[in-house]
Amino acid sequence: MSSQFKEQQGFVTFAVNTKDTNYLELAYLQCLNVKATQKQNSYAVIVDNATSELITDQHRQVFDYVIVMGDISHIFGIPFGYEAMVNHYTPFKETIKLESDLLFTQSIDHWWTAFRLKNVCLSTGAKNFTGVRSTVRKYREALDANSLPDVYNGLMYFRYSRESTDFFSVANSVFHNWVMISQELRQFDTIVPSTDVVYSITAEIMGRETVTMPSMDFINFVHMKSGFNGWSDARSWIDTVMNERDGDVIRINNLNQYAPVHYYDKSYATRELIEYYEQRVLG
Amino acid sequence: MNMQNFVNSVKSKGVVVFAFNTHIDYVAIADQTCRLIEKNLGLPITLVTDHDAVPVFVYDRIVRVDPQGHTFRSEDVNLQWRNFGRYLAYELSPYDETIVLDTDYLVLDDSLLKLFETNWDYRLMHHNRDENGVSYEQMGETSLPFVWATVVLFRKSPRAEMLFELVGKIQRNYEYYRLLYNIRERNYRNDYAFAIANIIMSGYHVNEQQGIPWRMFTVSSPIERIVATDTQIHVHLADKALVLPHQNIHVMDKAYLQTDNFRELVNELTI
Repeated sequence: MSSQFKEQQGFVTFAVNTKDTNYLELAYLQCLNVKATQKQNSYAVIVDNATSELITDQHRQVFDYVIVMGDISHIFGIPFGYEAMVNHYTPFKETIKLESDLLFTQSIDHWWTAFRLKNVCLSTGAKNFTGVRSTVRKYREALDANSLPDVYNGLMYFRYSRESTDFFSVANSVFHNWVMISQELRQFDTIVPSTDVVYSITAEIMGRETVTMPSMDFINFVHMKSGFNGWSDARSWIDTVMNERDGDVIRINNLNQYAPVHYYDKSYATRELIEYYEQRVLG
Repeated sequence: MNMQNFVNSVKSKGVVVFAFNTHIDYVAIADQTCRLIEKNLGLPITLVTDHDAVPVFVYDRIVRVDPQGHTFRSEDVNLQWRNFGRYLAYELSPYDETIVLDTDYLVLDDSLLKLFETNWDYRLMHHNRDENGVSYEQMGETSLPFVWATVVLFRKSPRAEMLFELVGKIQRNYEYYRLLYNIRERNYRNDYAFAIANIIMSGYHVNEQQGIPWRMFTVSSPIERIVATDTQIHVHLADKALVLPHQNIHVMDKAYLQTDNFRELVNELTI
């Protein structure tokens, strides 16, 4: 039996298409973006059987690894339950796991050095477009009500280790025992757990100091959910302020973004943007 | 080193004030506030004004230009605002190091002199507070923070020159920049133009680090009178009085600055 691990380090995302969102296309754009901006740029996409049918030769040319999940029916009853299986699928000994709607505007190669201080490292806090940590808490009230850590799975690091195995094992347990766990928590009675919530609870169980580095406040990203930026949620940020590109840099509301941008509104991933990066990466 | 070289090595410092009369006699206000500037900063003052103005204060220089501005409606009254041309301060200033001040800025201490001891091409006032303790500092609901062009410091340098040229470009193309920056108000404001220019100059970054490292204090409400003691300034408003140390004050109530009480205050403070 060959080893699960094919390389030392790389990026991983999930792409499980829904009827509304082509996550494979988002992952494809992200992979191109990683290739264009990072020196350490190995990239794996994890897909379900249905999404794997949509993978083209062009995709295979860009993705370093396409990993098709096995029978996932037992975890698909839980939204995003597969997220906590990422350690089983990653082909890397060290993985930066990303949400697929996130783009880099510059190299984060130096982050690997910081990440290596931990076996698991979740990003904490979220920046707004001005580059400072957002103080908006309306999306995080339940976490605050339970004094849970403000972690985001949009960007996290883990290394093959006992600690990471334990972390994902606990996270799986939280996913599967959500009904019981939620009754012990405030404001979670009727909420389906997001991966952020599950990882926050897991971090608390594991010891938040073991899986976060809040003192390294650059390990997070710009969250473009409108409310995080002080704007109305009634409109997407794309319809609220200007945005343009200057090479890899994304300029939002006239400010350059140097932290990774979690663009959130999937319509940002236009064909034009994909073609721009295809030109850069594929020539 | 001969004296000529010595003289050349000393950088000249001065203050530039713009005053163009509208329904408000800004030149008369400048005549009074410049007495405070002279007393507390001890710097030469250049007045930029129009051809009709008859200033009384003995300025270092008077530069006369054709005033430009616009009219806007406020509370159903057409108001004239001759605020164009601030970007010319770089070109018109005879000094190597210049403080550009609004005429409604009362210089009551020497804190601005301290800034000359620091390293910069220009410095802008990023933050303000008023008697209510709050200050709205966004150019619009979804826009970026503005700066207060009430106080601008610059050194003759390529970077400062670029800033002022950019302010001029923004003024000339204000409608474009207003839309780009989601600016709420239609009327041109130097506060906005300097803020936008600074953002662009700073590589599309707000860059408050280059700013003046303290908040401006503004009295926003109508003023009944101001009384000075040895250590304090008492600003009497309609419903309360502000007790302040001697500090620079930005006064929004232009009518007060044209009263006898203000002239008497300046007399008292400049003895």
